[in-house]
Amino acid sequence: MFTQFGATAESLSKASTMVFRIGTDAHLYDDPDDVNIAPLLDSKFDSEKCEALKRLLALIAQGFDVSNFFPQVVKNVASQSIEVKKLVYLYLLHYAEKRPNEALLSINYFQKDLGDTNPLVRAWALRTMAGIRLHVIAPLVLVAVSKCARDPSVYVRKCAANALPKVHDLRLEENTAAIEELVGFLLNDNSPGVIGAAAAAFASVCPTNLSLIGRNYRRLCETLPDVEEWGQIVLIGILLRYAIARHGLVKESIMLSSRDLENIASENGASDTYQKGNEDSNAYFGLKESNADLTNGVCKSEVVDIVSRSYLEGPDKYLSKHRCADVLSSELEGLHFTSAKDNEDIKILLLCTSPLLWSHNSAVVLAAAGVHWIMAPKEDIQKIVKPLLFLMRSSNSSKYVVLCNIQVFSKAVPSLFAPHFEDFFMSPSDSYQVKALKLEILSTIATESSISSIFQEFQDYVKDPDRKFAADTVAAIGLCAQQFPKVANTCLEGLLALASHATDGEAIVLLQAIYSIKAIIGKDPSSNEKVIVHLIRSLESIRVPAARGMIIWMVGEYSDIGNVIPKVLPVVLKYLARCFTVEEVETKLQILNACGKVLLHSKEEELWAYRKVLSYMLDLARCDLNYDIRDRARFIKELLSCYIGSSDTEEGKAQQESRDVSRVLAGRIFGGQIKAPSSEQFSARFYLPGSLSHVVLHAAPGYEPLPRPCSLNFEDPSINSNIVEGAKRPGDGATQSESYTDDPDSVSGSLNEESTSDYSYADSIGGSDGTGGSNVSSSLSEVDVHKEPLIHLSEVGYPNANPDGGSHVDNQYSGSNNLGELISTRSLESWLDENPNSGHNLSEPSSIRKSSARISIGHIHGRVEPKICALLDPANGNGLSVDYAFSSELSSLSPLLVCLQVSFKNCSTEPMMNLQLVEDNKRQDSSDHASAMTESSSHGDVPSLVPMEEIANLGPSETINIMLQVRFRHHLLPLKLVLWCNGKTYPVKLRPDIGYFVRPLPMDIGVFSAKEAQLPGMFEYTRRCIFTDHIGELKKGDKPGTNDQFLVICECLAVKVLSNANFFLVSVDMPVSANLDDASGLRLRFSGELLSNSVPCLVTLVLEGTCFEPLNILVKVNCEETVFGLNLLNRIVNLLAEPARG
Amino acid sequence: MMQCIFLLSDSGEVMLEKQLTGHRVDRSICAWFWEQSIAQGDSFKFMPVIASPTHYIFQVFREGITFLACTQVEMPPLMATEFLCRVADVLSDYLGGLNEDLIKDNFVIVYELLDEMIDNGFPLTTEPNILREMIAPPNIVSKMLSVVTGTSSNVSNTLPVATASCVPWRKMDPKNTSNEVYVDLVEEMDAIISRDGTLVKCEIYGEVQVNSHLSGLPDLTLSFANASILNDVRFHPCVRLRPWESQQILSFVPPDGQFKLMSYRVKKLKNIPIYVKPQLSSDSGMCRISVLVGIKNDPRKPIDSITVEFQLPPCVLSANLTPNHGTVNILASKTCSWSIGRLPKDKAPSLSGTLVLAAGLERLPVFPTFQVGFRVMGIALSGLQMDKLDFKNLPSRPYKGFRGLTRAGEYQVRS
Repeated sequence: MFTQFGATAESLSKASTMVFRIGTDAHLYDDPDDVNIAPLLDSKFDSEKCEALKRLLALIAQGFDVSNFFPQVVKNVASQSIEVKKLVYLYLLHYAEKRPNEALLSINYFQKDLGDTNPLVRAWALRTMAGIRLHVIAPLVLVAVSKCARDPSVYVRKCAANALPKVHDLRLEENTAAIEELVGFLLNDNSPGVIGAAAAAFASVCPTNLSLIGRNYRRLCETLPDVEEWGQIVLIGILLRYAIARHGLVKESIMLSSRDLENIASENGASDTYQKGNEDSNAYFGLKESNADLTNGVCKSEVVDIVSRSYLEGPDKYLSKHRCADVLSSELEGLHFTSAKDNEDIKILLLCTSPLLWSHNSAVVLAAAGVHWIMAPKEDIQKIVKPLLFLMRSSNSSKYVVLCNIQVFSKAVPSLFAPHFEDFFMSPSDSYQVKALKLEILSTIATESSISSIFQEFQDYVKDPDRKFAADTVAAIGLCAQQFPKVANTCLEGLLALASHATDGEAIVLLQAIYSIKAIIGKDPSSNEKVIVHLIRSLESIRVPAARGMIIWMVGEYSDIGNVIPKVLPVVLKYLARCFTVEEVETKLQILNACGKVLLHSKEEELWAYRKVLSYMLDLARCDLNYDIRDRARFIKELLSCYIGSSDTEEGKAQQESRDVSRVLAGRIFGGQIKAPSSEQFSARFYLPGSLSHVVLHAAPGYEPLPRPCSLNFEDPSINSNIVEGAKRPGDGATQSESYTDDPDSVSGSLNEESTSDYSYADSIGGSDGTGGSNVSSSLSEVDVHKEPLIHLSEVGYPNANPDGGSHVDNQYSGSNNLGELISTRSLESWLDENPNSGHNLSEPSSIRKSSARISIGHIHGRVEPKICALLDPANGNGLSVDYAFSSELSSLSPLLVCLQVSFKNCSTEPMMNLQLVEDNKRQDSSDHASAMTESSSHGDVPSLVPMEEIANLGPSETINIMLQVRFRHHLLPLKLVLWCNGKTYPVKLRPDIGYFVRPLPMDIGVFSAKEAQLPGMFEYTRRCIFTDHIGELKKGDKPGTNDQFLVICECLAVKVLSNANFFLVSVDMPVSANLDDASGLRLRFSGELLSNSVPCLVTLVLEGTCFEPLNILVKVNCEETVFGLNLLNRIVNLLAEPARG
Repeated sequence: MMQCIFLLSDSGEVMLEKQLTGHRVDRSICAWFWEQSIAQGDSFKFMPVIASPTHYIFQVFREGITFLACTQVEMPPLMATEFLCRVADVLSDYLGGLNEDLIKDNFVIVYELLDEMIDNGFPLTTEPNILREMIAPPNIVSKMLSVVTGTSSNVSNTLPVATASCVPWRKMDPKNTSNEVYVDLVEEMDAIISRDGTLVKCEIYGEVQVNSHLSGLPDLTLSFANASILNDVRFHPCVRLRPWESQQILSFVPPDGQFKLMSYRVKKLKNIPIYVKPQLSSDSGMCRISVLVGIKNDPRKPIDSITVEFQLPPCVLSANLTPNHGTVNILASKTCSWSIGRLPKDKAPSLSGTLVLAAGLERLPVFPTFQVGFRVMGIALSGLQMDKLDFKNLPSRPYKGFRGLTRAGEYQVRS
């Protein structure tokens, strides 16, 4: 009893929270299923229904699947209680997709609610109905949306706009036009609240249909400040894109400043210092001294140039082409410019976005700043600085994103942020990432006047407890010291002190310090002799191998500088030789190098001493455990043999010559000036300000660069809108080919090339052209009619063969000789190619393909033989052998079932009785409980195994085949069954084959490409594997005249895939190239859809390599079902990689 | 657009998931997230944008609760961050704070709120005033009612009229018995004082907080005597931007109740109210520390709630600190907190003592940074002064009140 009192504090606090929690839904969350929910749902009291629904919500919140209550919940849609309704909606939206049939039952109630007098009820009904996302009801939803788009209530109209993307997500082609029309209608709305939502709908439904904006541009700009904040974010982006597509870039803006920048720089008095800086090194683009002249905005021309190009083209495209800089620049010259001072449209855009810089929503501020950054005249950009800096105050999470953007702005125009350097001083609450960004910005924007204050700060940061950050600071100090020679000395002193005080635990700081010192010295070695000597002296105390290595490198590099170093050199070398054996590998390598260099630079009188040291060290190195060091020793010995071995007896003339050669060689190798890597600036990727891609530094799916300037040219938008609309949809087959015809020369050029090449198919192309062209489809069904493969050059040009628009330009570009022509057609193409998955082009093989032929393999189905697996071995089954093979037949009972061909064979001498396969009933563990409940509660559900009729009698060596229909609940786990035979049971396991969870989905190449384009990004998975089967096949097929290597490979692949997966072979494309052996570019496409939910699943195989070598295959799967797609991909890769049986 | 929102407790448990679009996000992503945040520690905790193998995750961390939003496609990252911050604000406003229990106890309300706040991954209604009309916040009365009667509904059955008006932040025609408006200037002073005692940076972040209880549709105009000192400003949506652009006048129709009218920043200030002088000397495995606190520039208002906090470096084994005024606490996280309260008249408060370093350490390698806290009632240290507040559209003259308050923000003294 007293012990109970003992626990007072704890139980009291518990009790108090209990009191506090009374009346909340706490108990529902803690024990949602402590009562039976089902009867509550059917209760006639709203309060009980509410409670039941809350319990269900709690289960959903905790991640349980309670979709089995769906039918009962749906009934409650009819409830009059608004709370029950709300809860039902919440439940319904969570599960509707899973239970489409039952969800349909609710539609009538929604229809009724849509006519309710309460706008809230109407809005909720519309939101939920659209949220159900069923293809069947899409037309109904569309009608409802168009009705609600004219609703008197603003809220309902807003919800109608929000519903449009939901309908659009269903991707029903026939609705697209209607949806876009509704978007246009809602953009015309009077209420700013609706416009915001309509803008969001526009951005997700038809972001490229800018003609819709054209009609309302001015009005949209004017209402922008009144639109609610979330809509503003989206609308700003849309207006910016429109303005650029319609009017082009602003000639006073930063985007075009790089071209006339040189003029400005030379006109300014600053040109002297500017050039000096430039001579010193081109490596760091932060070198130019800003003269703090803000209105003139001294920009880093290269950076600005890259930034503006990346904005326009997307960095991936830009990077892949940046070598052809001359082509690009001429292309940029051809852009149309406009002036912010004369153009009313741009004026109004800037005018209406500038007050948004004061918004309390940080995303709005950043979006508005982005517009000004791109469009505003240079002298007005100043406007965005303070709002951006103020954004850093808003929350810790946004601070990082804002800094990411400021970083790019400041890199391009350091003078913009230079006066505000204090804002980038660290605050104690900053995370490491934020601090690192701030450091980088600080070292970018430092100026002559601010550098001293910044250094003061840096000195404090070096003492920061976060040593990684301290090391970064040291690096930043090094960077600044290189920019500002005046402070270099102070920096060196500080760094040296740091290096000598650094304790053992501070390896990274020390390393960074030495690295920075090395970089500073590298700019002016001769005046920093003392520093080098100081470092050499501290060698003894510095124990970090990499740091030692760097100091030793300096010994070698600067061995002939000044007066002191040559004097101490012999001692140093002796010291190094003494401690050589105890050094780490990297230090040893540096020691060897340094000795080599010293020898090379040494004067005649010291040569002998050094030579002795070096040969001693080489001897040591030759016995080293590490082979790198032994190699290096050997190499240096050879290279410097002339120096080492010159005291030997006299040599012949030939040797003398080779000595000269190696002397020169050694001079080159050791004396070569090392250029700092200048690739840094080019590898920097820039994405539009405020975008997600910019923060994660890769193009996120759906990222689009700015539209092509002035690509939107029309006189009367109302007439031309349809045409523009058509031309702007990427992946639209018709327009692609249309754009291709613009360029007839390159097409015909490649055609000619083809016919001249001695391609072995030349005959069959001509011969089968007549029949083959028309018979492609029939040849697939009539398997045996055409023994001969049919080849027809269906598409000579590339566009259709490659569904990925992004690389299509590159291809054309490389295929054609006449660049001038290309550039003229590029403007339209760049429109077409702004497809969201430009980031994935990298995975495309970059080989040059001029054209491809499409072949159909007619008789392939004859060779497809499903793989047979053993279910029961005769040894274990008393002579009964059971095999199964997955069948390509489809179950007539349910789409969830997979058909199997099971063959029972009696290998014994006695007859067998009562054979049957049944489900293993023992497994009723908890995990299956939910599914069992599902089965009992709803109709039309499917058991794991469709009961098979018993085989009464199986005679000796008799075989009976039976078709079995099985439902695998999981793609990977085997299904446990029990085999009854002669009254005995045998547990057996049926292993699922993911390849048979699909059924063939016949389609042609056009549909395939379209579907593929709809499944980009996250829905696309690729892997590579090596395929070798064809080699054996090629060796077998001896008749070279009849069988072509390509065909054999294609057949091998197709048979292998089709024998293991239930797919439809869509097409086989092969490259038409001059090289007979080169199978690269061979492309097979398969299509299928998932049995259970008819989600399409596309497989593409692309080959690389030559015919008689193992082929490298890129397997690509496009499927909306992520898990399935990945599993399938793995299965196909394993399948292809495993060698053929026999 | 956002595809899913998860709320995680401080132990990584998924308390709530709300799927927003047809592209479902499996909650296994939270497990991935939590594993990463354990493996990578603090630096991950503060990453606002994370690229996971399948999704981009936006993260906002508030009072132990992690708010996650997932997307697979390009969207403005700040939009997600800002939205999650709003969700956190609204929830803590509704529930009177944020913690695991509060969210679990009111999960139905959280669901209902989320459903109103976001539709198909795009924010729908985030204005707290409208939300309050749509979904009633939990309060004692409704709790008791529900216990007694067993029936309660927190979902309003009518659409708030404000959703249709051009001032969506204001309830239509609220009736207030009191007719009053209070304007507060709440300022935070950020300062960095370097090792040698010089003022590196001093600025003030301030907010104009208005608490308005006015009937009808009033139109207010607030002007400052010295608006030119404001460096950066941000406004509540109710502020009309044109008058500010032209005359630097705040003209607005206020929401009902408490709201933040404007935030601003005043930079490059020269005067700090108090000084803190730490002195550390370290040798032979010990570190002597002494800290002095006193008034530097008298604001002529009492300074109270003075605290000095610093983090003991990890290599410190034990600390023996004695103040001559106030109390010193050393928390488990090795945070040393000295609360002084008001400055005594007769002496300057000081703290002195010794730190014992870990074995083998001769000297303290890094010195701590001191965080100073204080509060000055009745004055805005930035010097911003309100000029006048005018009313239009009001039947009777309301009662007006003005106040100022300054407290320390990130006020750090390095040693």
